[in-house]
Amino acid sequence: MSAIEVERLSHVYAGAEGGVPALEDISLKVEAGKFVVIVGPSGCGKTSLLMMLAGLRHQTTGTILCDGRPITDPDPSRVGVVFQEASLFPWLSALDNTEFPLALRGDPREERRRRAEAMLNLVGLQGFGARFPHELSGGMKQRVSIARGLVQDPPVLLMDEPFAALDEQTRMTMGHELLRIWSQTRKTVVFITHSLTEAVYLADEVLVMSPRPGRIVDRITIDLPRPRTYEMMATDTFGKLRERIWQQIRKPEGAH
Amino acid sequence: MRRPSPAAVRWLLLAALLLLWELVPQTGLLPELFLPPLSKTLKVLWLDRVEYATNLLVTLHEVVIAMLIACGAGILVGALVGGIAVLRNLMLPVFSSLYAVPIVILYPIFTAWFGIGSESKIAFAGLYGFFPVMLSTAAGIRTIDPQYLLAARSMGATIPQQITRVIIPASIPTVLTGLRLGGALTIIGVVVSEMLTASAGIGYLVTRYRTILDSAHVFAGILMILLLSILFDLLARWVERRTLVWQTAGRRGPSTATDTTTLPAPAPV
Repeated sequence: MSAIEVERLSHVYAGAEGGVPALEDISLKVEAGKFVVIVGPSGCGKTSLLMMLAGLRHQTTGTILCDGRPITDPDPSRVGVVFQEASLFPWLSALDNTEFPLALRGDPREERRRRAEAMLNLVGLQGFGARFPHELSGGMKQRVSIARGLVQDPPVLLMDEPFAALDEQTRMTMGHELLRIWSQTRKTVVFITHSLTEAVYLADEVLVMSPRPGRIVDRITIDLPRPRTYEMMATDTFGKLRERIWQQIRKPEGAH
Repeated sequence: MRRPSPAAVRWLLLAALLLLWELVPQTGLLPELFLPPLSKTLKVLWLDRVEYATNLLVTLHEVVIAMLIACGAGILVGALVGGIAVLRNLMLPVFSSLYAVPIVILYPIFTAWFGIGSESKIAFAGLYGFFPVMLSTAAGIRTIDPQYLLAARSMGATIPQQITRVIIPASIPTVLTGLRLGGALTIIGVVVSEMLTASAGIGYLVTRYRTILDSAHVFAGILMILLLSILFDLLARWVERRTLVWQTAGRRGPSTATDTTTLPAPAPV
């Protein structure tokens, strides 16, 4: 069974003259445990799509199934979300931030503490639980976000350009770290990015979206072996995959 | 030479000011009617300590109740106005304009309604302090990063959980700023109204002694108000610092330092 199944999803923003079409006839399947990356030009609606997968926004038509059941509202037991930035609560320590989803559902204190600490260890932040977000670097903050996204152990992790605000070196490290965490937890990941290199480096499959109204115009299987290494980025295969995505994105509208 | 710390400089300035207060009238640079020496002021304060203490109690009582009203109503109305778009669009421009009106012109009406006792002072000062509390609460709630709420919803937060766990902690810094400002205005409101029409209170004492040209007693009253305001400000800052460790330190930028020995004071209003 697919972890995520999207069927004929379309979305129209309310507005004058019937509204603005944002997403058009999107269907996709993500097998459990796969790492899928969505790329596309700015404003193509990829973040909207992710918000719908998270149950944070409602599509106009179409259905989203996660673990075989429809997603209509946020369900942190099935879907964890990692946002771009600024979504850690600055008034809570790293540990309290990580515990937050467990506190919401009223888990006993001991239990959630233990679980949150385990997650911080998983993302490489042991000993940093007492720090406040402002005392952490950009990369560390995103590690906490990932820990928070995983703390309820959902089968699916959605990531909306999580490393976009990081400098390139940190970004590379974080990509590598994410693959390590992913291989340890075997989550299904849907990851949005602007970076083609990041897309090829991380993904099992890359979905390319068109400019608005967003459609999926290409699906590219990335058959580079795992574990991925930095050296692979210099190979021909890597370059060709990257080039193919770029060709799809740069196509002018209507040329698909 | 090592540069003296700002705190040391501040204490030195204060000491110098107090010294001048003593010396300038002593040496005859200013007549005692304009500025009685510090020692004489303290002396009358001590001699008439019962009178000053009873009146200080009246003033304190008015200030405390007025602050409770200003803060309670300010936070309540501010939360409603800041949180509900319809109310915000309807009322915020009105409240903002009202804030600019010198509310003291209403005080004569208040004495007509509530008499010249404590009630009229409480009503006036409460109204005076209400506006900054209300406006900053509204601003605090309105300017919450929507990303926080989105993240909370993604983690399954219900509406009440969003209010208690996100909206309230996120707006506390702005609300506290408003409370500090509102509290200070409440003190001003009480003292000013006591000076205008009253039968008790430190403001009343200052006015009464002024009419009989007793400078030392006037300055003794002023000194008490000064101490009262400073004490309130220290208390407010202490509360802010205690509550906002995460925020005050955050203003230093994205450092990873853990040095918390030199937290800067909150930004001035």
